[in-house]
Amino acid sequence: MPVRTWRRPLDADKVKPPQAEVHIIKDRCKGCGYCIEFCPKDVLEESNEINKRGIHPPKVIDEERCALCGFCSAVCPDFAIYTTEKNCKEKKTTK
Amino acid sequence: MTLPEVQTQQKDDLRIGVYVCHCGLNIAGTVDCEQVVAFAATLPHVVLAKDNRYTCSDQGQELIKKDIKEHRLNRVVVASCSPRLHEPTFRRACEEAGLNKYLFEMANIREHCSWVHLYEKEAATEKAKDLVRMAVAKAALLEPETESVVPIINKALVIGGGVAGIQAALDLADTGYKVFLVEKEPSIGGRMAQIDKTFPTMDCSICILAPKMSDAGRHPNIELLTNSDILDVKGYIGNFKVKVLKKPRYVTKDCSACGDCATACPVTAPNEFDLGLATRHAIYTPFAQAVPSTYIVDRNLCLNKENIIVCDKCIKACERKTIDFNMKPETLELDVGTIIVATGADVYDPASLVNYGYTKYPNVITSLEFERLINAGGPSAGHLLRPTDMRIPKSVAFIQCVGSRSEKGNLYCSNVCCMNTIKDALLIKEHWPETEIYVYYVDIRAFGKGFEDLYKRARKEGVHFIRGLPSEIWEDRKTRGLWLVGENTLLREVYKTNVEMVILSIGLQPRVDSDIIQRLCNLSRTPDGFFMEAHPKLRPVDAPTGGIFLAGCAESPKDIKDSVTQASAAAARASILMAQGKVTVEAITSQLTPESCTGCQMCVKVCPFNAITSVPELKKVELIEAACSGCGTCSAECPFNAITMHHFTDAQLFAQIDAATEVDADKKIVAFCCNWCSYAGADFAGVSRMQYPTNVRVIRTMCSGRVAPKFVERAFARGAAAVLVSGCHIGDCHYINANLQTEKRVERLWKKMERLGLNKNRLQLVWVSAAEGERFASKIKEMQSTVSNVNPEEIEKSRKMTERG
Repeated sequence: MPVRTWRRPLDADKVKPPQAEVHIIKDRCKGCGYCIEFCPKDVLEESNEINKRGIHPPKVIDEERCALCGFCSAVCPDFAIYTTEKNCKEKKTTK
Repeated sequence: MTLPEVQTQQKDDLRIGVYVCHCGLNIAGTVDCEQVVAFAATLPHVVLAKDNRYTCSDQGQELIKKDIKEHRLNRVVVASCSPRLHEPTFRRACEEAGLNKYLFEMANIREHCSWVHLYEKEAATEKAKDLVRMAVAKAALLEPETESVVPIINKALVIGGGVAGIQAALDLADTGYKVFLVEKEPSIGGRMAQIDKTFPTMDCSICILAPKMSDAGRHPNIELLTNSDILDVKGYIGNFKVKVLKKPRYVTKDCSACGDCATACPVTAPNEFDLGLATRHAIYTPFAQAVPSTYIVDRNLCLNKENIIVCDKCIKACERKTIDFNMKPETLELDVGTIIVATGADVYDPASLVNYGYTKYPNVITSLEFERLINAGGPSAGHLLRPTDMRIPKSVAFIQCVGSRSEKGNLYCSNVCCMNTIKDALLIKEHWPETEIYVYYVDIRAFGKGFEDLYKRARKEGVHFIRGLPSEIWEDRKTRGLWLVGENTLLREVYKTNVEMVILSIGLQPRVDSDIIQRLCNLSRTPDGFFMEAHPKLRPVDAPTGGIFLAGCAESPKDIKDSVTQASAAAARASILMAQGKVTVEAITSQLTPESCTGCQMCVKVCPFNAITSVPELKKVELIEAACSGCGTCSAECPFNAITMHHFTDAQLFAQIDAATEVDADKKIVAFCCNWCSYAGADFAGVSRMQYPTNVRVIRTMCSGRVAPKFVERAFARGAAAVLVSGCHIGDCHYINANLQTEKRVERLWKKMERLGLNKNRLQLVWVSAAEGERFASKIKEMQSTVSNVNPEEIEKSRKMTERG
């Protein structure tokens, strides 16, 4: 059904997905770019810094977007990235 | 100059009986029926002419039957109403008297004469005479025909799984027929599932619907196809071939609907079922009572794109291992005998009415949003919460006719909103009796059983009804309350009221994608956009296309009770067809005379039904009569007169043209109208008493594609002032696209007329749908200037049209 959904859902706060922390072990990265390529939420991009191996490791654009699917750690050939759930209970009240 | 020889008599013993009907005063009030009878008696082969007050009555029919026997009539002409109304009645009477029903002909002197020329009695009488003359001329050439019988497939398709579709499917399935119930959403239930309570009995909507939904889901005769779209409908009454696209759910039937997958799913979006007032996950079920209860994955939202499983949280969470991202869409081919269209309605989007501030002020909500808020299973667990502060409002205003009965929205009344508001007001009073409720209305329409009682109850409970809609609503910045300003038209004073919440009582409107079903099933729509029934009074659930029926809001806005009533009626109508097991198809088909065929294949190219195939070895074509639907466009195209169109032969049509142009041809318009749209449109002009000039003579063909250039040329050759060719709108043709040929032919004729130095305005082409009586009437009016400007030299010039190629 063509529905105009313009309101903030009443239960928007309750269903706030868990907050993620993305950890990148920069020096392990060899710059294959799989994590950037496959991230379904486009959380990562190539950074400007140069690591020990002389390449640009990824950096996080927006950690809040991460849905904790863990695919980045699954595809990383060098075990250089992983995600954990932030276990902070304090909620940001926006409105 | 000689015109092509027309066969005027094939038998010496032609005995035609003419019956002129008064139809009470409907005809006799304008047309002098005695004069018409006296005139009819003078026509060739007419052995008997009578008038009758109501020819369609039992006595009228008995008279015809008696005369057929006593006077050995072998052709019958009735001059009365439209053949679209009573042709079957009289044909049956003829048959009962032993006369082949194709030896009957009708002259439409009501819809096309007395009703549209109410104040021109003499001219109308003359026109009636002409129409009788034309009918008698055709009758003289009529031939007995034999109808073929086609079997009906004992399966039905129901499109739309709202309450109407569910009821129709259950009724048919209980009768014993196999039913395919196709729904595009993931669950059946439709609008009724979204509503909290029903009026006037205040029953819980989902509580009475859910058992029906699960009955439909479990019924051995019902195959439920949810999340599916209709791709194609081919065939004809009794034998439809339907293609359905079944989109994957990505969850198998083994799903126990435990919901563990949704809990694990990391992504959320607004739930459409709750109008965005609640969230759902990428894997979800739209509502708790959904049928089928199987969850579904929204691939637009899910992290897993095509061929890549990025996130497997739901897969891991599912104990029964029912999630399968490899599911592919399936295209099913169904053979069904009947189709019930129950596609429902959309709600009006009030955002376009800027003065009401919907989407600008959060505390202005729609009546459908209200239903979700007041529903115990809804996003607020049954608490009517103000979106700005999540508090129950102390004062509420309802605004009626939002998007209905107004130039700004839709012109029609949406039928359900008055009672819905009264019900909603009572619901608020029931939960929070202290709430002040104001209802701003234009008229309160409480017309149904028990409706007035409910209205009275609302007034007794202290709901304020104020006549006069607010002209504007604005928000109080501090309190987020709303100010309503307007005029109380009963007290003639201006009101300015402050309330905490405003509920817009929105109307219903046709589905945005109605045109798809319209095109696939060859349906017509009224100017409002809802599907049109075959007859507004006597065939209210039949679509104009045979074997297709309408139910619920697809036909017009209606409440649940009416939807259910109509659905059961549609199911009964469909059962009648299927119980008979066979249907006779009108003998109006084309026939090939192989001796005349040269194998040029012109007909092969224009046949919309692929009923003609080329046989190159023999330099002939082959015509499969069973596949022919009877538009006659092949016959019009054939340069060698090798194809005869039964019941609409060249000779019969020539005879009608000649009869129409026998007197005062230079003042007349000869109009060719197709049976389904433009003839029906002209009928509609009659029913609506739209007055137009009397000089038009309508000749009915099944399709405008039957109108061969030679017919138009014949009319001009006979000295007609103007010719009108009229058919269904492009895309609406009842013979798929035969009217494209009409367009081409008329364009060719225009070019020819230009070449011959004729005023091409004398030939007009207009597309008139069955609902566009006004368009037909105004076209005839518009053509008057052309008719009056035609001078004798021009007429003389056009007489030669047939001579020069």
